[in-house]
Amino acid sequence: MVIPRKLSTWALFALMVVVAVIMLYPFWYMIDNAFRSGNQFDRQNGHSFAGWHQLFANLPVVGQLLNSTLVCAAAIVIILAVSTTAGFAFAKLQYRGSGTVFLLVVSALMVPLQSIIIPEYVNLAKFNLTNSYTGAVLVYAALGTPFATFLMATYYRGISDELIEAAVMDGLGYERTFLNIALPLSLPAIATVTVLQFIQIWDDLLVGLLFLPANQRTITVGLATLSAGRTTSIPALMAGSIVSAIPAIIVYLIFQRHLIKGLTLGMGR
Amino acid sequence: MTLRSRRRRAGIVLSIPAVALVVALLGVPIGQAVYYSMTMWNGTTSTWIGPSTYTSTFTDPIFWRVLENNGLLLLAVPFAIGIPLLIAALLNEHVRGWRFFRSVYFLPTAISWVVIGMFALRFFSATGVLNQLLGHVGFGAQATDLLAGEGSALLALAITFIWSMVGTNTMIFLTGMATLDPTLIEAAKVDGLNRFQIFWRVTLPLLTRFVQFAFVITVISAFSALFSLIFVMTGGGPGFGTTTLEFFVYQTGFQQVQFGVGALYGIILFVIMAVVGLVQLRLIRAEDSGW
Repeated sequence: MVIPRKLSTWALFALMVVVAVIMLYPFWYMIDNAFRSGNQFDRQNGHSFAGWHQLFANLPVVGQLLNSTLVCAAAIVIILAVSTTAGFAFAKLQYRGSGTVFLLVVSALMVPLQSIIIPEYVNLAKFNLTNSYTGAVLVYAALGTPFATFLMATYYRGISDELIEAAVMDGLGYERTFLNIALPLSLPAIATVTVLQFIQIWDDLLVGLLFLPANQRTITVGLATLSAGRTTSIPALMAGSIVSAIPAIIVYLIFQRHLIKGLTLGMGR
Repeated sequence: MTLRSRRRRAGIVLSIPAVALVVALLGVPIGQAVYYSMTMWNGTTSTWIGPSTYTSTFTDPIFWRVLENNGLLLLAVPFAIGIPLLIAALLNEHVRGWRFFRSVYFLPTAISWVVIGMFALRFFSATGVLNQLLGHVGFGAQATDLLAGEGSALLALAITFIWSMVGTNTMIFLTGMATLDPTLIEAAKVDGLNRFQIFWRVTLPLLTRFVQFAFVITVISAFSALFSLIFVMTGGGPGFGTTTLEFFVYQTGFQQVQFGVGALYGIILFVIMAVVGLVQLRLIRAEDSGW
């Protein structure tokens, strides 16, 4: 069967639209139903701000958005600090056994969080780290470090050895060479790590649920526990979903390229 | 100090923080979990039992019920790979506007499983969107809450999971397709193959490595990333209908405060994941030596 070129193109386009509707429908549903009262939701008729009022009455939205931001920022700073330095060391300052150490760090990627969550909880509680941000931040940082280190090392391997050696010969020393030469060159990789980790931590539930005190919950955790209560109205939950998703969506839209690069770099074995 | 030893020193100093962080917060707890798994511990008193805890778990029917859920979830994996493969092929035709559609398809990747679960909860409920749709095509009489039955709740979970994996896997395949040599496709066209034949006979065989990668990512997600989805959608229920091993760790450890048994389930999960990882490594090795 010979399909005319133009017709088949239209068919492909139509298919893409269908898939787009399936992927976007949940977002439309959330927006549509966030602007309703409980009654309007039941009748699926009419719109109002009742859902939003209820959300703000039941959830400290602003405080939790702030908590999310703080936890993300702190964890990302730690991840960047340890992964850039270690990535540089593994790529450019190899010592005897550094290959094995690198493998050890990266193989931690294979550890599912659930496998260590109980001892983790016991340890953090022992050091009184579960009644502030600290415990959760440390766990997020540790979880993000293996992949970030892998990514940074891959990136630094692409920088020429001559450049590094020349800087050292000029008397910069290895630490300064890292800070003044290598680090600025690796900004694209740093951006990738930042975006990946931001979305991961912002969206996480388990760590925040177990390791953050109730008054310092992130927005994602707040939303999940609100829903577990089952008493809250659906429009309020939809409004909460929108609020918690928007920052991640904005970051996604701006840094899409970095996110995709991070994902596909993972395929570099 | 010689340049060589200074270099060595800098290397060690710069790698220490990352190593310390990973060892302290990921490495040590794995060892502790193995120890915990052989104790009976309710949060206050811990009693050493020994490896027999594993044999009593393996004779526990609830444990097998939970593991069965994990097995059933694996049935979703072919769909979570096949559908994105088709979508990637569609995008790869580079019809006008494909970049825009790519962004749209990838968007859910940025969204928390919590938010996705929040929608899915409404979607599958008795008065939800799915039942309305079914009502329109004449199945209105059977309006049921999919999340109320054990089997149907797991099905709902699997469908939500498949939808959530579309973005990631599509992107993996699209990246793979971009690496293909366009002259191969051209040659196939010259030989008179149509789009479907080209996809099956030329594109797909060349994407093996990417399919493997997507497979591993998907299995890992199915076994260790669905906690939020289960927490929001079903809480593991009804009964043990949607309790997978990862959720069982949470229930046992933090709801029933049985740290020992919870840690044991975590270790079993770890072993399963390690096996998946090793199989993947094997596949890559075999492929490498095959060239």
